[in-house]
Amino acid sequence: MSDIETGLFSIDELENVQITIGKIVGAIEKKAKEEGVEVGPTPKPGISGLRDWDFTLLSRYQPVYTPVCDQCCYCTFGKCDLGGNKEGACGINMEAHQARETLLRVITGAAAHAGHGRHILHHLIGLYGKDKPIDVGPSNLVAPNTQAVTGIKPETLGDLEEVMDYVEEQLTQLLATIHAGQEGAAIDFESKILHGGMLDHVGMEVSDLAQISCLGMPKSDPEAPLVEIGMGCIDSSKPVLLVIGHNVAGVTNIMDYIHEHDLGDKMELAGLCCTAIDMTRYQTDQGQLPQAKVIGTLAKELKMIRSGVPDVIVVDEQCVRADVLDEAKKLSIPVITTNEKIMYGLRNRSKDSAADIIEDLSSFKEPGALILDFDVLGEVAPELAIKMSKIRDEMGINALPSEEELQELSEKCVQCGACEMDCPTNLPIMAAMKAGIDKDFSKFENLHDKCIACGRCDQACPKDIPVLNMIEKASQKLIREEKGLMRAGRGQISDPEIREEGVNLVLGTTPGIIAMVGCSNYPNGTKDLYLVADEMLKRNYIVVMSGCSAMDLGMYKNEDGETLYEKYPAKFLAGNLINVGSCVSNSHITGTAIKVAAIFAQRQVSGNYEEIADYITNRIGAVGVAWGAYSQKAASIASGCNRLGIPVVVGPHGSKYRRALIGKPYQKEDWKVYDARDGSEMPIPASPEFLLTTAESIEELLPMLAKNCIRPSDNNMGRMIKLTHYMELSQKYLGHMPEDWYKFVRMETDLPLAKREELLKILEKDHGWEIDWKRKKILSGPAMKSDVSAQPTNVKRLCKGEC
Amino acid sequence: MVDTTKNTQIYTTWGRNVAKPVNPNVAGKIISKAKRPLLVVGSEILNGDHLLVEKTIAIAKKGIPVAATGHSITALIDKDIEAKYINVHSLGHFLGDKKWGGLDGQGPYDTILFLGHKKYYLDQVLSGLKNFTDLKTVAIERHFIQNATLSFGNLKQEVHLEALDEFIENL
Ligand code: SF4
Ligand code: SF4
Ligand code: SF4
Repeated sequence: MSDIETGLFSIDELENVQITIGKIVGAIEKKAKEEGVEVGPTPKPGISGLRDWDFTLLSRYQPVYTPVCDQCCYCTFGKCDLGGNKEGACGINMEAHQARETLLRVITGAAAHAGHGRHILHHLIGLYGKDKPIDVGPSNLVAPNTQAVTGIKPETLGDLEEVMDYVEEQLTQLLATIHAGQEGAAIDFESKILHGGMLDHVGMEVSDLAQISCLGMPKSDPEAPLVEIGMGCIDSSKPVLLVIGHNVAGVTNIMDYIHEHDLGDKMELAGLCCTAIDMTRYQTDQGQLPQAKVIGTLAKELKMIRSGVPDVIVVDEQCVRADVLDEAKKLSIPVITTNEKIMYGLRNRSKDSAADIIEDLSSFKEPGALILDFDVLGEVAPELAIKMSKIRDEMGINALPSEEELQELSEKCVQCGACEMDCPTNLPIMAAMKAGIDKDFSKFENLHDKCIACGRCDQACPKDIPVLNMIEKASQKLIREEKGLMRAGRGQISDPEIREEGVNLVLGTTPGIIAMVGCSNYPNGTKDLYLVADEMLKRNYIVVMSGCSAMDLGMYKNEDGETLYEKYPAKFLAGNLINVGSCVSNSHITGTAIKVAAIFAQRQVSGNYEEIADYITNRIGAVGVAWGAYSQKAASIASGCNRLGIPVVVGPHGSKYRRALIGKPYQKEDWKVYDARDGSEMPIPASPEFLLTTAESIEELLPMLAKNCIRPSDNNMGRMIKLTHYMELSQKYLGHMPEDWYKFVRMETDLPLAKREELLKILEKDHGWEIDWKRKKILSGPAMKSDVSAQPTNVKRLCKGEC
Repeated sequence: MVDTTKNTQIYTTWGRNVAKPVNPNVAGKIISKAKRPLLVVGSEILNGDHLLVEKTIAIAKKGIPVAATGHSITALIDKDIEAKYINVHSLGHFLGDKKWGGLDGQGPYDTILFLGHKKYYLDQVLSGLKNFTDLKTVAIERHFIQNATLSFGNLKQEVHLEALDEFIENL
């Protein structure tokens, strides 16, 4: 029998009959064989496919549960009080329930990205066809996450559909396990969490590969352009069209319309959240300038709307406030919804003419419209903004209170404290109100950067004081000065870049990758990001940004008036600052680690997730920081990093994700691996100490970052560099030498040269190590040997002679 | 005598099991009676005028070892007290491990005292201890910390400082 292929077939004898062959069992393996690619043991793993690997990780990094609620209300047996690790009516205990709750968060996040991926893929296939080649820059390994997980090496948009099929099927299986009365073991929910996180990175990768290939976004470009960012960069005398969300699909039609009708100079197109980032990537791969401005993160959303500046708001999906329509209505701003995930109850106008929609919205017959046809959207949004700008000017919209009103409102406050207690960061609002009575509004101004504009204070106040508007009014001067620059998202790290830098990462001579990702729920304002990135860049770490963090970083300038994006180059080299792009571009961060294993170390990548993850765990000093993580997506991104052994630190609000993965450095038996050369056990340093944890302040975070970049594969130079940063950062920010520094010393050449003698003395005196003072050599003491040719692995089957 | 038990209003809830309000003298005596107490101090002691740093040192001088979380250690070095840095999330994990030797290798703690933490963060850490350990936890913060075993209520700053003085007297 001849080989069957996928596609559409007719049968000669049977007229009007067509047969479609979708998938063929064993097709991945067959295709790979034809292309000379070997497929590893786990292409498209199911829920249990990588369970052994998960258990290996989880035995070292134990789940730490901190419930946000002691009760469960999943089913009508309940509510069940699980307090004290009691069992509920279905038999689940608190631990397992917390793991289940975490799983629900993670797959919600993964579904958000995967839903986005499917939507934009479908949209782009509609425009460009299934055969449109994937083109993301000078790489052969274009889809590292996809290939490691599924074994598929996608070449066209059509190939990505099968990848999405897999992700969606697995997410459905995972969601099914949330149902009451099934899994009882926390550890198995934990493995499912890691599975969900892994799937998330595949879904994200599909989204970004598709849009980079079709929408003219930068392709691994270190020279990606700089983009204006900040509320202060908007010229409010022009019509302002504000776009909010994460999915740029429909927005590109708006941008095309503006371009084709020469409206670019006549209006402002500005965005919030990741749609903003992707708008500024659109059609810039040939050196063109970005055609939109970025306002900032979710934390600017309510402030921007309440400023009254936007003339029209267009929303798509994900991090968009649920009350955009209500807030906009108060200020006569029409809202257009463009994606089935957010429709706000608006009438579907997709089939109506642009003129009719513009007429209805500008006459306030309806507060907004659902427009799913992007050609209609492309015309309506900019034309409506131009029209509304005049109308709203004539109406004289007064969005924020006057100075006089500020004082009157301050007087109304009865100092009950409800706002402060409800404020997620317990900001000192009462003191600002007190000072406001005497027309001193500086304390409100101080709140501006720390306030995430959630509006909970307004809801809490028994006197109906619009606290957030008062903060915004008092901060007008600051807001006008909020102007910065962000480098447009460059996409993935290319294969040639990995070839150049991979060796330095594995040996530790480039001390590590610090990936600063995620949202804007910071504990202490936005400047913390700048301080952390600058400190680590000065120390030659590679700092990789994405999403909201990439935006906030661009808001600050140094003494020379430069943002960090201007100060540091953007190659994949030590001391460089990279913005990979929007939320879905986070897949390029894990992708980079996979590429190091695949390209630098020549590990087989297709369907070989465990080996790749094992390589990364033991060799690549990378730490993720999601300092303002708030969303479920941040939880799934972190879990995907975790399955690859990449640790993540979240800010204190991240404790509300309710579960961390933390190791016990004092438990010696947990810090051993095999040497793949002979399967013998070898001790390793307790780093990373965690896979997911929180830090309280950036002063605590900085030394944590340096320490947790240490890996068993560091050579002496690499270990010396990493140890130096760990000790220096501890001294600088915690005022002391870290207690455990000596545990990372294998031989004298691991010690910083300038301090070697001094440190050897401490080792001898405080830790009883034997030193040969003539040769300045350590004779005995270290818990582990320095051996660069050792092959650390957590997986016994990868050892010589095992299989 | 300061009454720190009046305002125990909470703004979100974790569940049925809520801290018992406690007065400073009683809290002081409980700590004095503990076999292995530990004071866990957070970075918020560094806020404002460092008044909480003084109180921390005064408590530590009564012989209570200090776990300094965040970057609170910067104010506690060379103060002739037993203070060590540790991450609070890790500490929460280790405290539940009977095999952990403690910060000084002398074995596990039984009563844990908290001062100088972000309210939302501490309540999370304590939710782990409340649900999965039998440790007694005492919050002597300005806010009612509902996931502790015992806690001061919501207090004005001046009352809080006075309460801490009374607490220290009773150690
Ligand atoms: S799922 Fe179980 S624990 Fe939850 S309410 Fe139902 S019976 Fe109770
Ligand atoms: S809007 Fe700002 S001040 Fe008000 S509760 Fe939210 S973060 Fe606090
Ligand atoms: S809730 Fe309202 S009245 Fe109470 S302190 Fe805050 S602003 Fe004042």
